[in-house]
Amino acid sequence: MTTTELIKNIGLKALSEFDDRKITGVFVSDMLSDVMAGAKSGDLWVTVQTHKSIVPAANLVDVSAVIITSGKEVPQDTVELANKHNIAILKSDLPTFELVGKLYGLGLVTK
Amino acid sequence: MPECQHLWEMINIQFGFVVFEKCSHCNGLRTYFSPKDHPIVGDAYLEGEHTWRCMENAQSFQFDLRCAKCNRVEKYDDFMGFLYCTGCLPDCQVDIIQKKLETQKTWVLVAFSFFPRKEKDSFSPERLKILEDYFNQRRDTSRSRVAILSYDLIEDFSRCKGEFIHDVGMLSLEPPKERKPLL
Amino acid sequence: MKIEKIKEALDASILEGEDLLEASVDQVYASDLMSDVLAFGKPHSILLTGLATRQAVISAHMAEFNGVVLLRGKKPKDGAEKFARENSLVLLSTELDMYDACIRIDSIKRKRHSPAKTETVKPVREEILLSHEFSIEGNDFADAGMVSTEVKSLLKKIGLDPVLIRRVAISTYEGEMNVVMHARRGKVYLSVSPKIIEVVIDDEGKGIPDVELAMQKGFTTATEEMRAMGFGSGMGLPNIKKNSDELKVESEVGKGTRLEMRFFI
Repeated sequence: MTTTELIKNIGLKALSEFDDRKITGVFVSDMLSDVMAGAKSGDLWVTVQTHKSIVPAANLVDVSAVIITSGKEVPQDTVELANKHNIAILKSDLPTFELVGKLYGLGLVTK
Repeated sequence: MPECQHLWEMINIQFGFVVFEKCSHCNGLRTYFSPKDHPIVGDAYLEGEHTWRCMENAQSFQFDLRCAKCNRVEKYDDFMGFLYCTGCLPDCQVDIIQKKLETQKTWVLVAFSFFPRKEKDSFSPERLKILEDYFNQRRDTSRSRVAILSYDLIEDFSRCKGEFIHDVGMLSLEPPKERKPLL
Repeated sequence: MKIEKIKEALDASILEGEDLLEASVDQVYASDLMSDVLAFGKPHSILLTGLATRQAVISAHMAEFNGVVLLRGKKPKDGAEKFARENSLVLLSTELDMYDACIRIDSIKRKRHSPAKTETVKPVREEILLSHEFSIEGNDFADAGMVSTEVKSLLKKIGLDPVLIRRVAISTYEGEMNVVMHARRGKVYLSVSPKIIEVVIDDEGKGIPDVELAMQKGFTTATEEMRAMGFGSGMGLPNIKKNSDELKVESEVGKGTRLEMRFFI
């Protein structure tokens, strides 16, 4: 599944300009240290963190996209930094647990 | 004997805190890793001539790197974290390099060891390269790459507005606020 | 849902609160940000988190949660266990990460039955937990088996009985191989609901002239080449029948074959 397909299938809002990528796994965590230690290249990163540090963290690990859950407001500077790096910042109003149910329902698994 | 084309993996991963302390006498800054939960931000304690006050503590992690082929281990227990450049000082080498590498789809991070820096520079070009290799091996480099730079390239750290990739305020009972520059 | 059930679903070890597992939780809160837990968490919830500190347990307690699950095998630090014990909170530890933990709990959540409250005799629509479609290329022996491998992977995530997963995987594999060997292309539709797993394999191909004959062990239409590769020993359909709880085969010569397999959970 690609980023654009995901957006359509779940009904997410894209906040940044991004390169469409194939999603090859899912990593759910709000801790940047966990992401740096454990996320894989191509993973979809699910979090409630909105501080602009999520962009270099996402970049470092080469995630395919970031979903911000729980309807959090994403600051403009985060979006701008994401635009610069062409990383998808997607927004969902669902809390993390409920969103995960939907992702799994689409067949997204971490191999 | 041909050199090993190292394939690095993270080992000995430990989660804990990076503690940032400042001395109210000499304005010195020091940082270290603690695997334990840290005392409340604001507490001060005496140590010799210094009065250290904890300014910040951030969730972080420690690791070593090992080559999956030849088993060589490179320790990184002096690794404090990565800083990303926000382009605040026009003459700063980091920003200059960053702008240049961006056009080549290479993203820049600065590797920090703990303060005060030891006599011998712990982050030699070779160790930085290994770190860089590890993160590049973890990604599809046909799309983009990562470059890890030395802290030495920062023009003036006291004015640097770069930000560390750390988890700050995870334990805070208040919603995350805007992070201010460290110094 | 009882905390006991969550513990089982996550293969979790009990750090504190062995005598509190009968308690029920209404909601699952997955987060590492404690300010959110305090702001949005509801009483009688359970927290899933990678933040293995005392503060995390305190936050859960303040929000009146019944328990905390520490993820990724992280060990609790600095008095977290003591605090949990003193404040009657269940503290569990699992090796799973947040994604897998959420999936496992979600699947047991959907198994719960609420007693019928209405008089109507409408059949209760089974909630679909997962619905996914895969494609198979006919004659593509290099990739043969990839679909059933993915299906197996997906089912493992829910934490289903390994024997059941094996039956589904074998049946899907046999069906997939039939498509590769005898059809131009095919689709696999996987659908999982709390009580049933359904696998439908629909192909465009030469079809089966005599389904009953094909159901006999040892009957095969595989070519010499395929047999040399190790396929087509004639066990395909019989094996699927053996491993599935219900099997329906429809076929039309020159058009294709449709297999509908059902497995009861």
